[in-house]
Amino acid sequence: MSHRKKAISSLGDIAEHLVTYAQAKGADESQVSIADSLEFSLDVRLGKIENLVEAGITSLALKIIKDKKTAWATSSDLSPETLKNLVVKAIDRAQVTNPDPFAGLPDLSPFSIKPSSLKLYDPEIPRLETKTKIAVAKEAEKIAMADKRITNSHGASLETREIKHVLANSHGFLHQYSETFCSLSLGLQAGDPDNKVEDFWFSAQRFWKDLESPAEIAKKAVERTVRQLNPRKIKTQKVPVIFEPMMTSWLLGFLFACISGVSIYQKASFLVGKLHQKIANKKVNIYDHGLLPGKLGSRPFDSEGVPCQKTAVIEKGVLKNYLCNSYAARKLKLMSTGNAEGTGVSPNNFYLVPDDNSPQNIINSLEKGLILIRTIGHGLNPLTGEISKGAFGLWVEKGEVKFPVSEITISGQLGEILNNIEIIGNDPDWRSLLAGPTIKIKELMVAGE
Amino acid sequence: MKDSLSLTLEKTFNLDLANLYLILDLALSQGGDFSEIYLEHSTYNYINMEDDIIKETAESISQGLGIRVISKEKTGFGYTNSFSLNKIKKAAQTAASVANQTKRISPFQLNPLPMKHNFYPIQIPAYESNLQTKISLVKKTYAAAQSFSSLIKKVKVNLVDKLQTIIIANSEGIVTFDSRPLLKLTCSAIAEKSGKREVGYYGGGGRVGLEYFSKKLTPQTIGQEASKEALLLLEAVAPPAGEMPVVLAPGHSGVLIHEAVGHLLEADFNRKKTSVFWNKMGKKVGTSQLTIYDDPTIPYFRGSYNMDDEGTIPQKTLLIERGKVVGFLQDKLSAKLMKASLTGHGRRQNFTCFPLPRMSNTYIAAGEYSPQEIIKSISRGFYAYKYQGGQVEDSGKFTFSVSSGFLIEEGKLTSPVKQATLIGSNIDILNKISMVGSDLKFGLQTGTCSKGGQQVPVNDGCPTLKIDKMTVGGRE
Repeated sequence: MSHRKKAISSLGDIAEHLVTYAQAKGADESQVSIADSLEFSLDVRLGKIENLVEAGITSLALKIIKDKKTAWATSSDLSPETLKNLVVKAIDRAQVTNPDPFAGLPDLSPFSIKPSSLKLYDPEIPRLETKTKIAVAKEAEKIAMADKRITNSHGASLETREIKHVLANSHGFLHQYSETFCSLSLGLQAGDPDNKVEDFWFSAQRFWKDLESPAEIAKKAVERTVRQLNPRKIKTQKVPVIFEPMMTSWLLGFLFACISGVSIYQKASFLVGKLHQKIANKKVNIYDHGLLPGKLGSRPFDSEGVPCQKTAVIEKGVLKNYLCNSYAARKLKLMSTGNAEGTGVSPNNFYLVPDDNSPQNIINSLEKGLILIRTIGHGLNPLTGEISKGAFGLWVEKGEVKFPVSEITISGQLGEILNNIEIIGNDPDWRSLLAGPTIKIKELMVAGE
Repeated sequence: MKDSLSLTLEKTFNLDLANLYLILDLALSQGGDFSEIYLEHSTYNYINMEDDIIKETAESISQGLGIRVISKEKTGFGYTNSFSLNKIKKAAQTAASVANQTKRISPFQLNPLPMKHNFYPIQIPAYESNLQTKISLVKKTYAAAQSFSSLIKKVKVNLVDKLQTIIIANSEGIVTFDSRPLLKLTCSAIAEKSGKREVGYYGGGGRVGLEYFSKKLTPQTIGQEASKEALLLLEAVAPPAGEMPVVLAPGHSGVLIHEAVGHLLEADFNRKKTSVFWNKMGKKVGTSQLTIYDDPTIPYFRGSYNMDDEGTIPQKTLLIERGKVVGFLQDKLSAKLMKASLTGHGRRQNFTCFPLPRMSNTYIAAGEYSPQEIIKSISRGFYAYKYQGGQVEDSGKFTFSVSSGFLIEEGKLTSPVKQATLIGSNIDILNKISMVGSDLKFGLQTGTCSKGGQQVPVNDGCPTLKIDKMTVGGRE
């Protein structure tokens, strides 16, 4: 432990010294961030270990501003000569770019958030023994394979990560925090060789004790796989569609891409100019919250040192804020919302506020329609809001699941979908930075036969 | 070659052959069957232009090493970004720990493998050129896009050049070296008319030098093509929905072959019997007009390499011959377990990753129909022209996203169409390919393929293809 602490402070020293060096070499402003991570990953398949990876890597990112001109650099070589050379070259490179009145580091107020209050770090994770992790992964797969309907396995994967973040800048900012992650996933196939169906389930947490048990993961992975057996095609039609929580989460991911301050200043989103306008059903409330204890997207400050916060994105259907780093904020005459990540923006915890409807009640309310369970493909266009993706689902009649459906596509426009959200579930899925509950959409185009 | 290898080893990594041998030996200390060290030094430069200014530049240095041990079917892997012998030894011990066999073998003496070919004989390396030269290419592209029409409201241009230098040594006694340049110039343009906005995209590059942009593809063309597509999409209608005949345009449509066929012929999915092709070797899975290759040896192509990321010299590999499965894409592990020959398709994103069987440049060989006759044969259908990407799963279900296309009406291309999705099941679609065109073309040389979280540069190609019936996901 004490050895590790020493390592942290020395990373802080490297960052601070490099900022000092950059200023001495003529930078107007400079920022250095370091991420030091330890990774463990394990793949088990059909009861045997396939891959075991254990490793560490340190990487440094540098931003220099001179005469309102910006240059970036990153390196995994932390030797003093390489880093100094990188600074000098970045300052040289900045000279040949054009001045940008919006360039610069954010103005930071004194920092008050205690990283420890966010519950980002589980001390148990670095202490876990390899054999414990192997046993957990093997158990999940073994339970699933005991089900006669499962015909093959993609394997179970267990990952743990421990990352230390250090950020220093020429305004005197120097802070650091540590975080941990763990995940267990299991992918399965069912059906005969020419009619395979497949799916997976995973659990992802910051604390080892919060991870779903191997039995729970196996049960969900099996259920999700076998429910797709013997799929049918359906006719091309417009029908009500229920999004399972994971599906709502990808919809939120697309919404994030459309309300990110970067897309807005680049005029690359259909939501340009829509601030304070109604863009969704009045039941819809969406927030970005970086300070929820223990959640995967929480962090004390963003990659520019701006403290994270709770930001209203949509309240009662009205678009309240774009999510910005300091550059997008200056371009748009707004404030940074603490969403900077690298050279762009990222969600912290971006979630649709749940209502009190159980998923079963939502399904029961469906006279005829589709439950969307998976999508594949890339058909999202932030500029127009258009969505077009391959889909898998369950066909519902009179509130009951009748049969699985495959080889269909769904298409629609995000603005229309947001307005057509009729029912919101009580089951948000917090396994990523995007947390959606079950939702029911009034109508979507489903293409099949 | 030996000289440049030893020199790189010493200069870049501060190691020598004796060090490498010691590490390979240490990695076998728990009784593994095979050990390997992968050393990488990569540089990356980036220029970004938007809002009429050169906004940002970036430089990135990524270096480190990965050590792999194979023991029967198990792989142990450790990596580090430090070249200190202590850190390297620790990575070797981590990788070694996956094995627990009592029989202990020693590595063979290391012999540098002479490299007799070079698939990227470039003239003006971007990584050695001055920044102003590269900025001028970016500005020319930007100006061409912007001045193309007064309806163009927003332009973005990126230039990225990379140089990846790797040395691979393994316990079979092989040590080898490759230095791979990669260049990409891309432009996106947004057009606006009566409140409607659309984005167009174009680009090019490959394992080429800057001379490529004065001979093969000029910055003017890149800028103009991006704007042209944005303007076309302003006039586009929503795609039709339902099953219909589909014609795939030559070149860009190679992504279909990449997704629908290529991935499922990667050996790991077949060794594990998760791919729908695992029991189809030697069997007919598609029309006899269909012949598919993967070729990492095409000079200057984005997906090419002098050696793969396991040090194997790559081969043009026949995958499907007249509709019959005849080959899988192999890496060392799968080839060993399947008792098959190596094809040179073990690739990895960087030193933090272990290799997987991957595609390089995948394409359908030219057939006999002229593109005109193919389009003429359809009274109502969809012509898929450009794509955002695709995805497949092992069961053979795939989808790909069409960013622009056309309606086919009475044997002619008519209205432009935007944002459609094509979905199908691979063997079903392969049997429905009824006409293969004579006009083989390749995609934009800007593609990246993702598998197991690892990104590698690829390219793909195909001639005009007719698929008798396919589900088009549209809104009308």
